[in-house]
Amino acid sequence: MIPVVATDVRQGHGRFAGLVWTLIRTDFKTRYHGTIGGFVWALLKPLTMFLVLLAVFSYVFAGQAQYKLDLIIGLFLYEFFQESTKTGLLSLRAKGYLLTKARFPSWVIVLTSASNSVITVVLFSIVLLAFLALTGRAPSGGAVALYTLYVGLLFAIVSGFSLAASVLFMRYRDLNQVWEVVTQAGFFIAPIVYPIGILPERLHVYLYVWPPTPVILFARSVLLQGKAPSVLAHALLLAETCLILGIGALVYRLRAPRVAEDL
Amino acid sequence: MTPRIEAVGVSKSFVIPTGRRETVREHALDLFRPRRKERLQVLDDVSFELRPGESLGLMGRNGCGKSTLLKIVAGIYQADAGRVEVRAAVTPILELGVGWNPDLDAIDNIELLGTVMGLTLRELRRATGSILAFAGLERFAHLELRHYSSGMAARLAYAVAFRAVRDVLILDEIFAVGDAEFKERCQVRYRQLHAAGHSMLLVSHDPRTIALFCDRALLLDGGRIVLAGPAEAVADRYLSILLESPPLPGDEPVSQ
Repeated sequence: MIPVVATDVRQGHGRFAGLVWTLIRTDFKTRYHGTIGGFVWALLKPLTMFLVLLAVFSYVFAGQAQYKLDLIIGLFLYEFFQESTKTGLLSLRAKGYLLTKARFPSWVIVLTSASNSVITVVLFSIVLLAFLALTGRAPSGGAVALYTLYVGLLFAIVSGFSLAASVLFMRYRDLNQVWEVVTQAGFFIAPIVYPIGILPERLHVYLYVWPPTPVILFARSVLLQGKAPSVLAHALLLAETCLILGIGALVYRLRAPRVAEDL
Repeated sequence: MTPRIEAVGVSKSFVIPTGRRETVREHALDLFRPRRKERLQVLDDVSFELRPGESLGLMGRNGCGKSTLLKIVAGIYQADAGRVEVRAAVTPILELGVGWNPDLDAIDNIELLGTVMGLTLRELRRATGSILAFAGLERFAHLELRHYSSGMAARLAYAVAFRAVRDVLILDEIFAVGDAEFKERCQVRYRQLHAAGHSMLLVSHDPRTIALFCDRALLLDGGRIVLAGPAEAVADRYLSILLESPPLPGDEPVSQ
């Protein structure tokens, strides 16, 4: 007989950290086959989109001095939002096989599902900041800090949405298709390919309700123009983030205990 | 002695799929249509206790509520009524034959399942060799799970679960997996853990398994406990019920 020593399992930080790291690592491995080369595919989609849109819209918005940089910042931040909400929505369903094995905090699955998108946006941000520095437009430390805050708030918004959507998806099996249509329409609601200034000012408030809009505009403002939005604008973005995160956590809390039954 | 697990008046029902609306479209289209709600009562006022160091068997025909009861005790499902008090750490060994990540190899899957079951990465990395040895899969450590047979996948899962043991083990048909050698290995392991003072809650279709490995047993029928007592007596009663009525497909006792 092969002797097997049992390990007495106890709760603790080591257990939790191990679970988080394993989920992130295996997600990366599954998606990109564990290679940096595979990771190129994640960057290729927004880059291809950038080239196609640039080819068309740079003629339309020829008067906009920083159109290329505006476009690429908008594209990458929106890609982060779109991709991470999509994987977040599907996360519990995709890892349902773990939910029936043992009792553990399933929100870990939801939050770590965005890890690949986080890696992409961090990589993009480093390249962007390096490019700005090399072309003599290095943003100040404060601007970089604010940009990091905006990406952090976008992650919080994504987390709030994913917490609610992942548990609702177990009951509403076409929610992913509904969300795909919404994010597709949202691509044109957010001022990614066009400058917000071409629309009447009275419409701006509605555009700002769509979460990627303020994040994209604020990020462009601090990085490219060196101007920080007003305190009120920050307060509104923070309030919107707290609202989405709060509602997401509440919906998750209500539905998560029975989520394994809907598998 | 205070029971490790105490279930009092546990009831559970499920909405059966024909009566469920499962999409946003169905909810929108059927908004004003009266809702057809069909529920299946799976457990009805079930009470039992698991004492320290005891091995309690759970028997019954397919669909009698055994697996649902195990999942409620493990905290995976929630009861509609009644209460379950779990006074010790529990390791559930349920549905382990299915649900691996097919794109990952055995070592990655061991880490995934092991961390979910409560082991740290350090413990898992130290134990990987012995887990693979217990499953008899050392040669296939770097093979993606998509290439495993269902028996190999189940053996790997039981090897991980038998490593991550807590005070109470909840086991669903553990002796119905793998070849004779692996079954023997699981049985020896079960006896070692029982002798070490772990409490066991064991589900099986096989009366011989219950009679051999349990101190006490419960017989479930239609979601209710119809008999509780010494394991051998309950196993005999279950066997006579099976012999009296024509078996349903898949209801035959599992041969050892």
